[in-house]
This record gives sequence, C-alpha cells and structure tokens, in this order.
Amino acid sequence: MSNKQPYSVLAVDDNLLNLKLIEKSLSKEGYRIFSANNGPIARKLAEDEKPDLILLDIEMPGENGFEVISKLKENSETNSIPVIFLTGVIEVDSKLKGFELGAVDYITKPFHPLEVLARVRIHLKLSIATNSLIAGQAQKLKQVTEAQVAMLPTPEANPTALFSVYYKALEEAGGDFYDILNISDHITGYFVADFSGHDIKTSYMTASVKALLAQNCTPVYSPAESIKMINDVLVEILAAGKYLTACYLHLNRITKKLTIINAGHPPVVCLPVEGEPILIKSEGDVLGMFKDAHFGIQTINVSVDDRFVVYSDGLVESAETKITWAKGAESLLPIYNELNEVPFQDVPEVLIKKLFGEASMPEDDIVVLCIKV
Amino acid sequence: MDFKNLASKLGLDEDDFQELVELFITTSMADIDKIKKGVASNDPAGVSAAAHSIKGAAGNLGFEDIYSLTLDMEMQAKDGSLANFDDKLEHLENQINSLESQ
Repeated sequence: MSNKQPYSVLAVDDNLLNLKLIEKSLSKEGYRIFSANNGPIARKLAEDEKPDLILLDIEMPGENGFEVISKLKENSETNSIPVIFLTGVIEVDSKLKGFELGAVDYITKPFHPLEVLARVRIHLKLSIATNSLIAGQAQKLKQVTEAQVAMLPTPEANPTALFSVYYKALEEAGGDFYDILNISDHITGYFVADFSGHDIKTSYMTASVKALLAQNCTPVYSPAESIKMINDVLVEILAAGKYLTACYLHLNRITKKLTIINAGHPPVVCLPVEGEPILIKSEGDVLGMFKDAHFGIQTINVSVDDRFVVYSDGLVESAETKITWAKGAESLLPIYNELNEVPFQDVPEVLIKKLFGEASMPEDDIVVLCIKV
Repeated sequence: MDFKNLASKLGLDEDDFQELVELFITTSMADIDKIKKGVASNDPAGVSAAAHSIKGAAGNLGFEDIYSLTLDMEMQAKDGSLANFDDKLEHLENQINSLESQ
C-alpha cells in the first residue's frame, strides 16, 4: 500500500441530499470529500484543506456560486483549484458566466453521479498534468537563476577590484547583470547592465554578454572600442526589439583616469573624497539595438578613495513610487551625502536600506555597485 | 419502485441508496412543510424555493414522477400562482409516502 494521500474534492451545495450523493459516489472511488452547504463555509474549507478540485452549486441562498467562485479566484491560496460548477440544464447564461469567472467545466442538474465521477477524473488528470508542467518549468528557471548568480563575480574573489555590490533578481530569471574585468594589475573594468524584458532568453543572454566582455575588454582596445565591438555583435545576436542599457567603467589606478561609457543607463554617482556628491550624466544609445550606436563617453581624473556608485534603474524607479521626495536620480543626491562615513564595502546595502527601509524589499531587479579608487 | 435498479443506474449499492432515500424523505418532508406554510401565507417565492429543493434531489436520485411534479410546482410558483396547490401537495405527499413504505 502506498501512503499517498487520496485526492480530495470539496462539494458545495445547499441541498443536503445532493451533497450526500456526491460524497457517497466519490468516496467509494477513493476520493476524500469535504462538504459545505454554503459559500462562506466552502471558502474557509478551500483555504484550510486545499482540495484538489471543487464542485460548486450555483443556485444557493446567501452567497451564490458566482460570488463563491469570484472570491476563490481572488484569493491566492485558492485561485488555482479547478472549479466545476453545477447548474440547471436550461440556464445557458449561467454556464457562460461560470466559465467567465474561471470555472473549468460544468455539470447540469439533475446530475448523474457517474457523470460527476467522470468529470472529476478528467479535471484532476488535467490539473495534475498542468501542475507537473509548472513544477518542471520552475525547476528549470531555478537552475538558470543559480547559474546566473554563479556567473556574478564576488568582491572576495576579486580583492584588487575594490568593489562592493548588492544584487537582487526578483524573478526566477533576472534581467540585471554585472561583471568585473581584471584587465591588468591596475586596470579594472566594471560593467552593469539591465536587459529589456525579464524572460528566460534574457538570462541566457547574460552568458553571451559575459563572454563578449572577456573577449573585448583587454589592454589592446580602448574602452570605447571594446563597447563598440560588443554592441556590434549584440546587434547581430539579439532578437528584434531586445536591447540592454549598460554602463561600463574603466579605471586605471596608476594614471588615475576613469572612463565612463554610458549606453542609455542611469547616471553614475561620484562620491569624491572631498566635496559634494556629483551625478555624471552622459547621453547615449542603448546597447544591441543600432549598428552605428553613439555612446556617452567621459574620461575624468580621480583621486585615491573617491567612490563611484553604478546602479540599475530599479533603484531610482522603485524609489520614485515608494518615496515621495524622490523624483529620480537627481533627488537621491541628499542620500549620498549621508554615505560619507559608510565604509565602501557597506555602501550598496546601506543605500538599499535607506531607500527601501529595513523590512521591505525592492520591487524590481536591482544591482548597486560601489567602486573605490 | 425498483430501488435495486435505480441504485445500480447511479453506480451505488442498495444500502447506500436506501440511506439516501431516507435522507430524501426527511428533507422532502421539511420542504413540504415549507410549501404548506408558503401556500397559507401566500408566499410564492418561498414555495418555489422549497419545490426547487425537492426537485433537485428527486432528479438526482432518479425519482422522475416527483421530479416532474415539483418542477411544475416550482415553475407555477415562480410565475406567482399558487392555484390548485392543495391537490398538488396531496399528490406529492402520496409519492413521498410510497417511498417510505418500500
């Protein structure tokens, strides 16, 4: 004997005899039956017992079947349970309305217990197949997320790059991405990008972009040349309409020069060792869209201990909706002032906490990278 | 009435069917009371609801005579008329009683 729990069915009907008839015929076939003779009890049972299927009478005093199914579908605990409704043979409108509200099938009354049994079986089979499909897909996406996280370099593994990072992919396969390129002992490249769309294809693309960065960000090419070559390849391989916004920082710690290439990305924030925070804005086309794209390029002189913050738009966009004083990147400047005393290792984390509060989480994918000269 | 045959049509054994019939009689008697009160107080909506309840159960158990009788009562009451309900009620009670004696 297997220990498997039997499939359970919730039967809802104000007619006691109908309930009993359903109960008798289904339990004989090995189903576990919950019965309710009104809507509120039915909804409570559905939430507590999570039956595999619900048989729901439409015509009931008090809360009728339409109201019950609407409320079941609004509740995330119960909205995936298939509902078959029981309706009078002549009521065409009520059948249509039932389907509109999310029912999977109907049984006309008077019903025959063997028909009930047959329909319950069919819909349980369908539901089992759908659930295993969903579970399989979720498992695959989970693997992609794991692979994606494994591709992201950590500060510990790159001690000479002097950076700290906050990375959060809210969906199974996130659209945000960053990479660190150790071009030479004293030259480091920092890349932050945000793909348009958050689907599984996007997350496969991050692997391609990582490979392109490794191939093209070398001492032989200038930062502008590197990004142009990456752009030209992406134009070829990205699907039409897909692109990424990106920011590439190329820091030479001996010449103290920092080149920032901006491809449609939010501005970089400079936290100089002395003075007020500055936004480094530069207009530029997005990556992977146009063959002859023009990017915003700036080279600036930096001092030891200057810090730079690069982030994806999740930071400013979420802040706009959540925090009333924020009107975009510009209005985040006062916050950066408060980061003067924060060690650079903690800047991304502290920034997120300041913006989103201790408890709540960002509502979009987010990357925040802090770099120290 | 051939309970054995009705039971097998529903895929039930006779004992289970007998149990359902007893439940049907009890609930129908309660509904008949409601119909009588509804007729006395001229409440067609109440009468229609009670007749609907007997109809549903009778239909599911395969009691065709009771089903068509209560369907007729439900429809007539829905139209707002309770004419000749005394006769209909007597007929219905006889039908239910005949189940009891089996």
